[in-house]
Amino acid sequence: MADPILQVTDLSGGYDPVQIFRDINLSVGAGESIGIFGPNGHGKTTLLKTLSGLIDPWSGDIRFDGQQMNRSGARGSRRWQNFNYDAITRRRMDPKTVARAGLIHVQQGNLLFPELTVDETLSISTRAASGRQGWSRADVLGLFPRLSERLVHKIRFLSGGERQMVSVAAGLLSAPRMLILDEPTLGLSPKVRSELCDAIVTVRETGLPIILIDQDVAFLERIIDRLYLFDHGRISRVMERDEIPGHEGLMAMLFGEVT
Amino acid sequence: MDPITLFSIIKGGLVLGALYALMATGLSLVWTTLGIFNFAHGAFIALGAYVAWQFASADAYGLPLGLALAVTTGVMFAIGAVIHFLLVKPFERRADVVLITVITTLAGSAILENALLLIWGPRSKQIPELVEGTVAVAEFQLAWSEVLLLVVVLAILIGLGLFLRYTRPGRSMRAVSQNREAAQLLGLDVPIYFALAFGLSAVTAGLAGVFVGTIRFMNPAMGAEPLMKALIVVIFGGIARFSSPIYAAFIIGLLEAFSIYVFGLYWAPAVLFLTMIVVLLIKPEGLFGKYQRTL
Repeated sequence: MADPILQVTDLSGGYDPVQIFRDINLSVGAGESIGIFGPNGHGKTTLLKTLSGLIDPWSGDIRFDGQQMNRSGARGSRRWQNFNYDAITRRRMDPKTVARAGLIHVQQGNLLFPELTVDETLSISTRAASGRQGWSRADVLGLFPRLSERLVHKIRFLSGGERQMVSVAAGLLSAPRMLILDEPTLGLSPKVRSELCDAIVTVRETGLPIILIDQDVAFLERIIDRLYLFDHGRISRVMERDEIPGHEGLMAMLFGEVT
Repeated sequence: MDPITLFSIIKGGLVLGALYALMATGLSLVWTTLGIFNFAHGAFIALGAYVAWQFASADAYGLPLGLALAVTTGVMFAIGAVIHFLLVKPFERRADVVLITVITTLAGSAILENALLLIWGPRSKQIPELVEGTVAVAEFQLAWSEVLLLVVVLAILIGLGLFLRYTRPGRSMRAVSQNREAAQLLGLDVPIYFALAFGLSAVTAGLAGVFVGTIRFMNPAMGAEPLMKALIVVIFGGIARFSSPIYAAFIIGLLEAFSIYVFGLYWAPAVLFLTMIVVLLIKPEGLFGKYQRTL
């Protein structure tokens, strides 16, 4: 495999003092997509927030596109936090830097900017993609035709599905090299859900790597090359797409055989 | 009440309202964007007046007024941004940031006011009137400086409103104020927009100070009373949208002018506070307010 675009090594983290996940190793090659599957409340979202820099990692390394995302020397400098001195110390990871490097995190149930219109949101998300294959405004409106009719509406008046579409659209406009999608289809009606899933498959077909968290195994299988099983803050198993044993099988792996 | 008295009360109320609108807008800009309350806002008002005096007064550099105002704008923006990085930014990630910045901005206010005293001395100063002469229609008199004040304040507020609505930095600033986390994840540079909000807020306060400095004598603590009024305006009006403190400012200005006429100067603040309390009892989020803070 060529150099991976995202390489996560021995990553641990959480909300001080509670450790949420430990010893996470992930590797995503260029053009590859992965899925993370696991029960709710086991730390998947916290892991993603750490990858995108919203939370500082406790230890380990995150390399994206050949660039170290967390400041080096991370292991020792947690001591600073115990002095409660983090007000003055600089953070070890900056979400802006991560986003500008092209690792774009589309959050779960993203509220975005409730008082901004769809049009305004898309306009501030648009970033010039130097040397990257970028999505234009016309492209994302083609991908989500629904949004064309909603341009002048404020985001707080949109339905959950439309909001999710705006989130993905804004992510695509920010010159992504990789998208992180955290349960994008959660709580959507079947029709909107299948629309969104199809759109994400279309995005995947452009070769953009995706990290997808979802509870729907059939949807995961349409997107990913590899699945990481996430259990109690650790990766308990890695399997290629054709090894995925279906929803029941995964549940059995997580919780043991149900009799 | 004869028409001329009525006219002069309304005129006085509008001038007060315009000044309050300028100050309250700056205050609410910082509150909505950063989620903190800037107690150094009053010191910004005094600082703007002194800086403008330094550049405009014949006793100092004696620059033409327009130029002096432009320089003051630049200086105030820079000072606002610097104050943000010194007094607010270091505490941004703490859970108790709101309380801490009450202390730091109060400290900043004291330091700024005493610096003014050290630099410019205790003697009262006044900025020359921006324009002279009056315009009279029948018996109704209006000073050109009052017309200018109303026009300039409205132009600044409309300009600020258009900036927030139609330009990319303005929209990004609103985005940052509405959802900091989501803005960061899209790669927006949050600290820069915070500094921008602080800088713009300092500019509006400084310009308000310039106008106050032409009307009254200046002293380093001159911002304290207008800050209190601006606070009443922000609380009274709520901050649902950019325009709500502006409407509230004109209501408060007119109310103050009328209560000075009816109840006398000493009772006017009591009337204002009473009005504010009654409004808050009926509508706790402010007259035009909503519960969430947004821009």
